[in-house]
Amino acid sequence: MKPAPFEYYAPTSVEEALATLQSLGYDGKVLAGGQSLIPAMNFRMARPAALVDLNKVKELFYIKPTSDGGLAIGTMTRDSVVEKDPLVSERFPIVPYVVKHIAHPQIRNRGTFGGAIAHADPAAQIPALSVALQARFLVRKQGGERWVNAEDFFMGPFMTVLEPEEMLAEVVLPPMAKGSGASYQQVSRQKGGYAQAAVISVVVVDENKRCKDVRVVLFSVGETPILSQTARKILVGNVPTAEAIAEVAEKISKDEVDPGTDIHGTAEYRRHLVKVLVRRGLTEAFERAK
Amino acid sequence: MKKVSFALNGIVQHWEVADGETLLASLRREGYFGVKFGGCEKGECGACTVLLDGKPVNSCSLLTVQVEGCHVQTIEGMGEHPDQGWKKTAGLHPIQQALVESGAIQCGYCTPAFALAAKALLEKNPNPSEEEVREAIAGILCRCTGYLKPVQAILKAASILRGEVDEQDWIEDTGVPLPVDWPSGADQSPAPAGDFGSPEKLVLTRRKVFMPRMFITPEVRQKTLSRVGKPELKVDAIKLVQGKPAFAADMEKRGMLIAKVLHSPVAHARIKHIDLSKARALPGVAAVLCYKDIPRVVYSTAGQSDPIPGPLDTFSLDSKVRFVGDRVAFVAAETEEIAEQALNLIEVEYEPLPAILDARDAMKPNAPIIHDEPEYVNFGESNPQRNLAAQIHIDIGDVEKGFEEADRIYEAEYVVPKVQQAHIEPHVVVTYWDEDDRLVIRTSTQVPFHVRRILAPVLGLPVKRIRVIKPRIGGGFGGKQEVLIEDVAAHLTIATGRPVLYEYTREEEFIAARSRHPMRIRMKTGVKMDGTITANEMRVLSDTGAYGCHGLTVTGNTGHKSMALYVGDGPYRKSPNIRFYADVVYTNTPPAGAYRGYGVPQGFWPVERHMERISRDLGLDPIAFRLKNAIREGELHPFSTAWSEGREPRPEIIQTVGLEECVRQGKAVIGWDQKFGNPEWHVVAGKPYLRRGIGVALVMQGTAIPYLDMGGASIKMNDDGSFNLLVGATDLGTGSDTVLAQMAAEVLGVPVDDIIVYSSDTDFTPFDKGAYASSTTYISGAAVVKAAEDVAEKIKKRAARMIKEQHPSVQVSPEDILLEDRKAIAPGGEYVTLAQVALNALHHTDQEQIMGIGSYYSPVSPPPFAAQFAEVTVDVETGQITVDRLVMAVDSGVIVNPVTASGQIEGGMTQALGYAVCEEMVYDQYGRAREKDLVDYHIFRANEMPKLETVFVQTYEPSHPFGVKAVAEIPMDGVAPAVGNAVLDACGADVFENPITPERLWRALKEKQSVADHH
Ligand SMILES: Cc1cc2nc3c(=O)[nH]c(=O)nc-3n(C[C@H](O)[C@H](O)[C@H](O)COP(=O)(O)OP(=O)(O)OC[C@H]3O[C@@H](n4cnc5c(N)ncnc54)[C@H](O)[C@@H]3O)c2cc1C
Repeated sequence: MKPAPFEYYAPTSVEEALATLQSLGYDGKVLAGGQSLIPAMNFRMARPAALVDLNKVKELFYIKPTSDGGLAIGTMTRDSVVEKDPLVSERFPIVPYVVKHIAHPQIRNRGTFGGAIAHADPAAQIPALSVALQARFLVRKQGGERWVNAEDFFMGPFMTVLEPEEMLAEVVLPPMAKGSGASYQQVSRQKGGYAQAAVISVVVVDENKRCKDVRVVLFSVGETPILSQTARKILVGNVPTAEAIAEVAEKISKDEVDPGTDIHGTAEYRRHLVKVLVRRGLTEAFERAK
Repeated sequence: MKKVSFALNGIVQHWEVADGETLLASLRREGYFGVKFGGCEKGECGACTVLLDGKPVNSCSLLTVQVEGCHVQTIEGMGEHPDQGWKKTAGLHPIQQALVESGAIQCGYCTPAFALAAKALLEKNPNPSEEEVREAIAGILCRCTGYLKPVQAILKAASILRGEVDEQDWIEDTGVPLPVDWPSGADQSPAPAGDFGSPEKLVLTRRKVFMPRMFITPEVRQKTLSRVGKPELKVDAIKLVQGKPAFAADMEKRGMLIAKVLHSPVAHARIKHIDLSKARALPGVAAVLCYKDIPRVVYSTAGQSDPIPGPLDTFSLDSKVRFVGDRVAFVAAETEEIAEQALNLIEVEYEPLPAILDARDAMKPNAPIIHDEPEYVNFGESNPQRNLAAQIHIDIGDVEKGFEEADRIYEAEYVVPKVQQAHIEPHVVVTYWDEDDRLVIRTSTQVPFHVRRILAPVLGLPVKRIRVIKPRIGGGFGGKQEVLIEDVAAHLTIATGRPVLYEYTREEEFIAARSRHPMRIRMKTGVKMDGTITANEMRVLSDTGAYGCHGLTVTGNTGHKSMALYVGDGPYRKSPNIRFYADVVYTNTPPAGAYRGYGVPQGFWPVERHMERISRDLGLDPIAFRLKNAIREGELHPFSTAWSEGREPRPEIIQTVGLEECVRQGKAVIGWDQKFGNPEWHVVAGKPYLRRGIGVALVMQGTAIPYLDMGGASIKMNDDGSFNLLVGATDLGTGSDTVLAQMAAEVLGVPVDDIIVYSSDTDFTPFDKGAYASSTTYISGAAVVKAAEDVAEKIKKRAARMIKEQHPSVQVSPEDILLEDRKAIAPGGEYVTLAQVALNALHHTDQEQIMGIGSYYSPVSPPPFAAQFAEVTVDVETGQITVDRLVMAVDSGVIVNPVTASGQIEGGMTQALGYAVCEEMVYDQYGRAREKDLVDYHIFRANEMPKLETVFVQTYEPSHPFGVKAVAEIPMDGVAPAVGNAVLDACGADVFENPITPERLWRALKEKQSVADHH
């Protein structure tokens, strides 16, 4: 079915987009890849009064190296571009590996890196990835901007700190520290399905193989991506033994996740999956760490 | 409205569109019907794929205003028929050509999307790996092919585009070399041992078609046939690969209205009050109908022959609703949006009634009565007072005595789920009055003649004033063996006098279409220690949902096929002891109906899981145990004298059983002897949590319904010696038009493209019961052969006369004439061409239209047999199952077309794989569907597939002129139990309920662990 009627704006610059958003206030909605928004409008689950389409804003499509060894990704960069970009695989090999798990080529050819973050689907990969990689988001509005840490960005299912007149403009990934390793683990009914539970693990070890930092981010098992504190408490400063990893996995699955029972699985099963996936993920990440 | 300028297939367009219109809607409105509507409008099926600046995207999730300044490509810009009279074109694109030649096109609904995705891939990556091809098409769902042939086609196109093959080589028909066969003979090894089944090693014929493996029995080898048995191209492939407007919705009609239905939000209620006035007052609304507006005629939606073997319990609209999704009102409006808005304006007050959502509650003493309407017409044992839609009691032999004679008795309960046909083309119909005031129903149906007969009383029209046209069908799988939505559009056309289009959305497919009957099945089997089955009993509780439609026949088939396979051995073989009891009950859930396999997959899950468990418990080889008890050639079908869907049962001897050969071939292909019982093979190095397993299931099906279903065909000769073949048979993507043409071509001695097939139109083609019960090749095929023989006889008579006139010295009688190479040839070599015969008949001498007609019904239903194998890897920590490989060795008699037939097997195995591991439909406590789209209801994608392999074991079925048996349904039967048995083999966990989801397996593993801890 056709979406409910709306005003359509196709700005060609960020300034113009921000001005439009400012003037529309609560009536305006950013259209990025449209892979979530247009279906929602087709079903009239979303009825924005006005759309501000960023697809003609050329300055939002980019992947740039930062001088410290990280990356700056323009919000409109398509998933399929991130997936295949050589610089991304060189600096953050975990990123294309995770992005490949998103739906399928048609969706990734349109869906955007920033759109997935702004959409804040609790079952989506990119929000969790941004938390695991300590991404920083550049949020802009007319006449102003602010930086938000990924950890502070997600408020609940499909809810973020973005105000209606604001736009996510850029995602900055700080460089992976020396001695880093990462792993992605998910279970879904079949390969292409949404994850029943998933975990992204990023670890850093020192020369003595001691854990310097560990970021375990779980998703599909709570309202937002969940960054584990337990993993840090138990592992940082220590050599990650199998027992310690098992203990972390056990504790996370008990105390830190809050899976619901839904169509994809019961809470009990998902808690169990968390335990298995955290164990496997940490083991693999530490193996890869160098 | 906005102006948009963009390039469409290289030509600049300036369109004026509403801001909110999706590119899918604009393109179809402008006549680009190659862009298909999959009903989802949210990017899940990929049928609407177009290329946007060279990249595949879903046009449903793109606004037309967004393509300003972009390049859009659709299938219409890709290639066309090379030969258009005096105009020659560049022809099809090599990708299209490869899709046609590889047998990648079945229903053809998703073919344009595949072609475009392939084009985008090959432009970027001219030498993709198979994995890359699978990834590139992963966003396009196909329910027919199992993806094997589309992937092969794209790889083949890549090699052509790289210039590796002389293009001519692909197109030229060099006559097809015989497929591989292995020597028969008991002691010869059928094939080299080990894993040799990779697709690279499949046989490539000179026309570069991937052929399935063949085992040919001596009876078949004796027949020399020139068209039957060959991988002829599908007769409809060229139009489908161009995305021609061949499907029901691919048409324009001036003033056509869009229909929508208000579906019940509650599971069981009476409509206390309904007010349509606001909806009717909405500008743009042409009609709103509720139960008060149309005649109350009781009928059954089951597309079956007369009399329908089931209760009459359905009304187009009723004052009672019986499931969430049941019909409340119909709307016709100028646009879809207005129709939707009108639905929101209908005011309904429901008086809720207690609902039955679990079949086990249906026959409890105080259960609510779902069918209390006085018009209800019983069939057989149906009893609406007890919510009983049908009941079956079959006792063969003396079952109690058999149990007494057993050494051991095995009992267990199994559960099978409700699943969806999920054809990619939704149900769709267009209705209109023609200039003779006859109602035309252009519908995506498997049963055009049943539609006409069943709807006539419902609409208040005589049969003669209805014409049903079946265009191309985008898949059916039984879902369209139902008169499901034709009445909606027809009532609205009658109400408004205008053409009406009604097209289901994907959500409607889930809440208001048909599905596979879910069942609970108790097995009880008596066995001697040596493995002889002494008695076998199956008790079924089958859930037909809110209406009875196919309840009796589907459930009857569950026993009739799955319980016929194991008759027992020794004395039991001569007089088997078999019991099959079933209650088919009503519940307040969407009705179940026909779905490929028609009850039999529900039977083989329990039977084959049970046999596996028994053989393991007795320490017997699972395959030897099965073969020891399985039915053999020359034996009586045990059910044939016991039950015939409520008609008089008559004995049927089974004449061909290729089961042992299927087992031998299948074992060799999958490498059974190297893997089964070999502990080393069962582990995965470096991954202690993974286990591998291998499993088997033996299965049988039927071919057509004996003494009932009839198919008709007529053949007419044209001036140039070509023929029109008119059949009522309904090709829903299966390739039946092609195999029927092959049979006609065989008899008439012409190439297949001299046969112009038309199916099916109730005004023009002879009657055919339609596409179901695995009957078309067998029944309609026999009818075609009869019609062709009729024509051949007339040709020969005239040809003999003509040859005599030309060669007065030659003595030739019609019986000696051979039809070959478009000629009628006398034994001495003198001949006339068929074109000469045609001109002679139509214009010159003793003028007549050479024409033939044939019809056929069968006294028997010869069963195809198969051995199905699965290899799995199980993650014992998460319960995740990866099915690595499926092998099916099948005795379907003579294979008329190895490419279309293997396509049937591959696609069937893929659907059955969903039944095995991921597909199910579940309802909440209010009876609301949990799965309403193809994201939550997961069907397999190209990049998730196991390796698929087919072996045809060709026996010669003497009851058919070319020795054929059915192909299409049997692949549904054995995959789930073979996977279940492989899972058991891998990790020792017994799962009694399919699909074996990760969570279900995890629970079974936990259970097994706790039992072990206990001991
Ligand atoms: C069939 C299907 C399967 C899918 N499977 C997966 C999956 O497995 N995993 C997964 O992660 N995702 C999945 N998705 C979702 C897909 O990845 C979405 O495209 C993505 O999450 C949203 O990105 P988008 O660019 O399309 O955003 P849009 O749909 O355009 O926008 C989404 C929301 O974000 C807002 N927004 C977007 N960009 C900005 C911005 N720059 N500033 C402020 N607000 C903004 C919009 O206003 C809107 O509310 C699937 C989608 C489909 C249709």
